[in-house]
Amino acid sequence: MGTKHKSPEHPTPLTFRILLALADSDRHGYGIIKEIEERDGQGSAPNTGALYLALQRMETEGLIQDAPTPEHGGGDARRRYYRITEKGKRVAGAESARLAALVATAREKDLLAPGDA
Amino acid sequence: MIRGILAGLIALAPPEFRERHGEELLLTHVNRASERRGFFRRILFGVGEAVGTVFLVLRLRLEPGKPSGVQPPAGRFRFFETSRQDLRFGLRTLRRNPGFSVTVILVLALGIGATTGIFSAANAFFFRPLPFQQADRLVRIFETNPEFGWTYADAAPANALDWREQVAAFEDLALYTEFSNQVTFLRDGEPELLNFTSVTGNFFDVLGVRPALGRGFRWEETWLGNDAVIVLSHAVWESHFGADPGVIGRSVDFPGGTVEIVGVMPPEFRFPDSAVQVWTPWGWDPANRGATWFRRAHWVKPVARLADGISAEEASAQLEVVVQRLQSDFPETNSVMGAGLMPFRQFLVRDIRPPVLILLGAVGLLLVLACTNVANLMLIRATDRSKEVALRFALGAGRMRVARMMLTESLILALTGGGVGLALGWAGVKAVGRMNPLGIDGATEVALDHRVLLFALGVSILSGILVGVAPAFRATMGGLVESLKEGGRGGSMGRGTIKAANALVVAEVSLSLVLVLAAGLLIRSFLLLRQVDPGFTTEGTLAVQFTIPATRYGSRDEVLDFYDEFLLRLEGQAGIVSAGSVGQLPLNGTSWSSQFQAEGWPPDRVGFEILHRRADEGYFETLGIPLIRGRLFSSADGPDDPLVVVVNETFAREHFPDEDPLGQRIAYDRAASEESTWYEIIGIVGDQHQVSPGQPPRAEVFENRSQDWGRNQWVVVRTERAPEQMVPNVRAVLREMDPGIALASTRPLRTVWRSSMAREEFLLALMVTFGVVALLLACVGVYGVTTEAARKRTQEIGIRVALGARRHEVIAMMLGRGMTVVGVGLLVGIAVSVPAGRALSGLLFGVAPLDPATMVSVAVVLGTAAFGASYLPARKATAMDPVDSLRAE
Repeated sequence: MGTKHKSPEHPTPLTFRILLALADSDRHGYGIIKEIEERDGQGSAPNTGALYLALQRMETEGLIQDAPTPEHGGGDARRRYYRITEKGKRVAGAESARLAALVATAREKDLLAPGDA
Repeated sequence: MIRGILAGLIALAPPEFRERHGEELLLTHVNRASERRGFFRRILFGVGEAVGTVFLVLRLRLEPGKPSGVQPPAGRFRFFETSRQDLRFGLRTLRRNPGFSVTVILVLALGIGATTGIFSAANAFFFRPLPFQQADRLVRIFETNPEFGWTYADAAPANALDWREQVAAFEDLALYTEFSNQVTFLRDGEPELLNFTSVTGNFFDVLGVRPALGRGFRWEETWLGNDAVIVLSHAVWESHFGADPGVIGRSVDFPGGTVEIVGVMPPEFRFPDSAVQVWTPWGWDPANRGATWFRRAHWVKPVARLADGISAEEASAQLEVVVQRLQSDFPETNSVMGAGLMPFRQFLVRDIRPPVLILLGAVGLLLVLACTNVANLMLIRATDRSKEVALRFALGAGRMRVARMMLTESLILALTGGGVGLALGWAGVKAVGRMNPLGIDGATEVALDHRVLLFALGVSILSGILVGVAPAFRATMGGLVESLKEGGRGGSMGRGTIKAANALVVAEVSLSLVLVLAAGLLIRSFLLLRQVDPGFTTEGTLAVQFTIPATRYGSRDEVLDFYDEFLLRLEGQAGIVSAGSVGQLPLNGTSWSSQFQAEGWPPDRVGFEILHRRADEGYFETLGIPLIRGRLFSSADGPDDPLVVVVNETFAREHFPDEDPLGQRIAYDRAASEESTWYEIIGIVGDQHQVSPGQPPRAEVFENRSQDWGRNQWVVVRTERAPEQMVPNVRAVLREMDPGIALASTRPLRTVWRSSMAREEFLLALMVTFGVVALLLACVGVYGVTTEAARKRTQEIGIRVALGARRHEVIAMMLGRGMTVVGVGLLVGIAVSVPAGRALSGLLFGVAPLDPATMVSVAVVLGTAAFGASYLPARKATAMDPVDSLRAE
């Protein structure tokens, strides 16, 4: 808790996950939840309120934006779809690099067995 | 439910969020909720979602410009941080005072538990959806007849079948009955009786319930020739058929021939009541529809599904048109026969409503009383803490902060009490539910659902606020200087606090007076009810019932011979004095009723609503029912001899006030003629209460069992030993005669008598419990305040004693003040009792709601208890050595 301020370039785990979920496709909130649960397992997704709090703030900061309802594959006109912005991609990329560097360090220090991710 | 809460919360969010994400959030929530299976998983998920949304709204409101998703470091988020501090502090304070905390939690648990328990019953009756498809479109239809005094009568099948065809507002209409018959099934080679009930072929479709296995009935199967089908309850399918899915299509023996099992109902379907194990179609002869008896006898219960978009009012108006048409088409049976309808649930709970509402009112009072009591305890403790509070002010704490701290404490107590109370209440409801004293039918189920949980939560929070507000107000409103001054001499109450505590005592005494009075009235009423002579001997008498199967005893003579032989063999048993037979036990409900005319009466003289029962000479002798005049049935009144009947005293008094009923001939017709069946009255016997000791006996005619025979009689025996002990002997005699017939029911008449008052007894037990708890709570309150008052005046007492005042004078002075407060409480209580007693009047028997004797005794009991509660601390205070008293503090 010592850090005074965290820049958007250093997103929280939830923000990062949302960015990852949106990296390959526009999704609505429920789609994002499904994507997170598919990657990290049942029960890993935040409650609905927390998700939309994050979405609202990410939108304000320009990490994500509104997307049109997809024409193909069962788009639902009542729903809102979210799309990752260029800035969002940059933040996600930077965070990925930072995490990758951390993982590299962990591997150097033999914390990671060769078979692990 | 949860969706509604979320929608409400989102309405509180800033508009820009609401417009952009609100709808989307709800959609996502609904999607996720639909993935949750199981009751508790749903509840947990729902609570998580609600809490998450509360945080969402708070954060959006309180920190609009915050960057994305970054978790707030401690200290930046004041509100929650402070709450956490309050919580931690509250828990610590409460842990330091375990005695106080446990007392408060228990008192609140009692109040919240009782309230939640009664609410869960009310929930089952009034709020839980009926276990039928679109149950709000179901209506129950009944017949009315001002001449007979009928309001919610069963329908005549011919009338109901006409409504079904002629009222367009009904999508469909089904007929069922609450009577059940018994059929013997073999279970592991032993005969066992199953209850079956008859319905029309569309019964399951109208209720919208699908069988778990196979199919339901079809409309054609209502009628004779197509009716050789049955549907099993889930329980019987498991117990008698080993839950074998292959039972569908299997043939079983039934009265009247072999039938095919076509379906098995789901386990939760228990309608008309949980005793039903098999459903069969009525199997009516279509020719009945033209027969007069089919329009005269009223024994079916119609339930209809309203057509889409039709209101109950519209349906009612259409029904009225058909009813009037039937009145003119069938004047002999229908000239004054009306009909009405009511939403199904409303009809099912119409008897239960008043007692449940009264119980809810009573537990509500009890809860307020518990809260008042706890508020009092908290107030007393708040004075103990006045120094601590003053110190906090001095150190710069705001009033709001201190008030919030105290409220947090009381909320912790209330929520813990609520949790304990919920467990208590639920255990109580489960225990009571097994006895089913309110007569819950198969359509209602008492369950711990989200309504009960939310109710318990709501009541707990409300209680927490209720008990916390007074002390929080007291602690923070008095100025710093006053606080220090008041409490400066040590931890006793200031004058203002005493005033507040006295007000609470007045409230406690008056509330408990209302509850104790209600208990007192019900006790008196119940004692009077028990003193009513039911008209027959309840001691040393036993009744058993069985059915003589038509498959093996086809003719009238075979059935009559069986009963005669059985009674003869019973009387030959050691320990059995006499035996007899009757169609329906007294205090066990009525069978059928009719109108009648006596020979020679003018056409406009008709006797309405006479009850009928089939009996023999042995019935009257065995149950000690006196013969007033004339004679009982004898062997001379055989099946082919002239028809004779015996009437009760009420019948003689009401219908033959100026003539001698003996020797009169009567026929059960409105316009009797030569073609009518005529019966001669040969005797008058004493009245027996037919329904309950609280309802006066009605005019009744006893037909002779040998002349008007049936296969489903009760057999009564008078025993020399305890009646329960004779059951094996009776069973052995029956087995000796026919091992294939099982006893359906064995009931000592004492049990019959007791269970006719079961509802009254249940209400009494609950109310007495509430009354006793109320009395105890009031005493605790009085004791607490007197103790505090005594503590505050220790020095004064010391001085008085030192100056030579006698001890009893000092005690009298202290008691005088305490009892004045109690007296005011009693007066307020009596004033409040007037409307409360009126609400109770429908449940009372033979005692007025403001019965002065009860009121005085209740006031005396309460006053004495309060006297004791204030005498003890007063005596203790004066017992101190004056030197010690002066030195105190």
